[in-house]
Amino acid sequence: MELRYFIIRRLLVLIPTLIGLSIFLFLLMWAYGPCNLVSVYYTVRQHNCAVIAPQVGIYLNDPVLTYLTYVEHLITGNWGIVGGSGFFLPQGPVLYYISIFFPNTIQLALSATVLSLLIAIPLGTYIGSKPNSAADHIGRIFSLSGYAMPTFWLGYLLIFFFGKGVSSFPTNVFGFVGNGLVNYHQSLPGWVSTTTLLSNPTHILLIDSLLNGDPAMFVRALDYLILPVITITYGILAGILRFIRAGMVDSANQEYVKTARAKGVPEKIIIKKHIRRNALLPTITVVGLLISGLLGGVVVVEIVFTYYGIGYLLIQAINPRSFEVWLVMGGTLVFALILVMTNLIVDVLYAYMDPRIRY
Amino acid sequence: MAEINVNPAELGIKQEKRINPRIEELKSTLRLLYKNKLALVGLVIVAFYYFIMVLDFAYPPWLGVSNLNHIYVFTRTFGIVQTPISPGFSNGIAYLLGGTQYNIALLPAMLGALRFDLGVSTLVVAIGATVGITVGTVSAYLGGAVDEVMMRVTDIFFSIPFLVLAVAVTALVEKGAGGGMNGLIIALIIVWWPIYARLSRSLALSTKSLNFVEAAKAAGSSKTRNIFVHVIPNVLSPAFVQMSLDIGTVVLIFATLFFLGIIPISALSAPPELGVLINYSVGQAGYASNLFFLGFWWTFLFPGLFLLVFTVAANLFGDGLRDILDPKLRR
Repeated sequence: MELRYFIIRRLLVLIPTLIGLSIFLFLLMWAYGPCNLVSVYYTVRQHNCAVIAPQVGIYLNDPVLTYLTYVEHLITGNWGIVGGSGFFLPQGPVLYYISIFFPNTIQLALSATVLSLLIAIPLGTYIGSKPNSAADHIGRIFSLSGYAMPTFWLGYLLIFFFGKGVSSFPTNVFGFVGNGLVNYHQSLPGWVSTTTLLSNPTHILLIDSLLNGDPAMFVRALDYLILPVITITYGILAGILRFIRAGMVDSANQEYVKTARAKGVPEKIIIKKHIRRNALLPTITVVGLLISGLLGGVVVVEIVFTYYGIGYLLIQAINPRSFEVWLVMGGTLVFALILVMTNLIVDVLYAYMDPRIRY
Repeated sequence: MAEINVNPAELGIKQEKRINPRIEELKSTLRLLYKNKLALVGLVIVAFYYFIMVLDFAYPPWLGVSNLNHIYVFTRTFGIVQTPISPGFSNGIAYLLGGTQYNIALLPAMLGALRFDLGVSTLVVAIGATVGITVGTVSAYLGGAVDEVMMRVTDIFFSIPFLVLAVAVTALVEKGAGGGMNGLIIALIIVWWPIYARLSRSLALSTKSLNFVEAAKAAGSSKTRNIFVHVIPNVLSPAFVQMSLDIGTVVLIFATLFFLGIIPISALSAPPELGVLINYSVGQAGYASNLFFLGFWWTFLFPGLFLLVFTVAANLFGDGLRDILDPKLRR
């Protein structure tokens, strides 16, 4: 089978998943109560709910029609509204706020992924090439503590030991959508939008500051990012490390490694080219689970570090003063879409690298 | 035809006295567990935590209060933020580890917290595993359309990051039904059963084509009997490993959800819970407090360490158990 047929088949499998996902989210909302969904738009009392609900596409006696309307609204970008009294943002469309907070989350998640791979691959290679050595045992305990560590607890420990103290820790700043880099009183650089406070052109500050030639801002962005990224990395490193080690031990016993040794290939090259390349392939298959853990870590870390991303938005939406149901659904959907898309890319990448998978 | 009747002892064949093979298997497992010191340490710590939890349920006055929720009501001075009592012997056994916000005694609160942290997590893992194993095994055995539908359903649950899924389900079920802790428990079960469904499905697929299942089928055993008597027992041991690994993770997620303030609880009615205790110290989700940063380090350190010790122990035990029960890894 060719690669493009594999991609087409993989895309077809995606369709039932997405339909099921939308049904699941809709059922959750329906269980929450149709009239409560309407009350975000209007002040609704029980007796006029039936009159007002159809205006926002909710039909009290017809869940199927409501579901179809909901899906249509999702596709056309009408994800409900958010805000009002008790919420930290003024009233506006859910999708608008999500689009503003999204780049920050991507920046955090990508940095954590890159850092954990940079650490895990060399470390896993070293540990896996010497199973049952002292380094192996230390690595095992390290990865075990990563699994077991409460992310929020670790985050505060890091703030306490390496942060600049609570007084300079940004809690009331709203610059670059809360990256804590500029507050209201400072003037924004020209490459930052004054309305959305997003940097241009990619909306990811780490990249934009370099593109616009502002190394000072790059250093500040990095400074702000480093503790959250370390916190997430510590949690997900454990999983990657464990799989790379297992893969290394597995492929070290293969016949072709023995052949390579027998014909006198240097040990360094055996580890790098014969063992590691084959050990990294199966690791890719567990990336889906790791990304799931990573995104969960992102939610916690964004709360701990007051980092204005989707996770922060999602948790603010369930505060006791104002429960923003449309934002909860929208945030959940965004996280789900990130996970689904990453899994798709990973599967295709895997098929591209390992031709056996296509048969 | 003459009957052949030979006593094996006469031929010099030594007959071993076999007691029940399952008991033998258990004995050898225990022997291996005893050899694996790290797993043994994990088991002892986990057992100790469970002992405290049982004590919390069975005899609440041992913590010094008749009702655990009263830890909060009685020790709180309304409207006055007090300086937390520092840890030490001088203030009596209840304040051995000091006091936290409103001078809630930290030691009884932490020990009492296991009632929720460990009790609910055990319930969640038990129900999740039961549902997951049943669904996974049945769909693998029946195959065809049932199996396909089951796989697509688990796909849906795997397509949402589990923490986000738990947050969303808790928030909506909770606000809709107003059922106190029920929303959280339902949410965690919804998050957890697909893991067991996937695991037991893959195991059941390889078991159902084995000879003894085929033989049972040929002998006229019913589908129900085949699934529950022949297939499920072979799925249980890896599932048990997964459960022992998961209990630490669920406790962690449970504490995280409480830390994030998923359930809108006022300080007055908050159940003793480790995530809430850490929250008192750092002040998220409406509990305005920065005790940790003001230098009252014990309010932060002790609940976190108490949680960390359990999760590390559960992981050690689960890891060791996997090494023991998986013959491929056994040397």
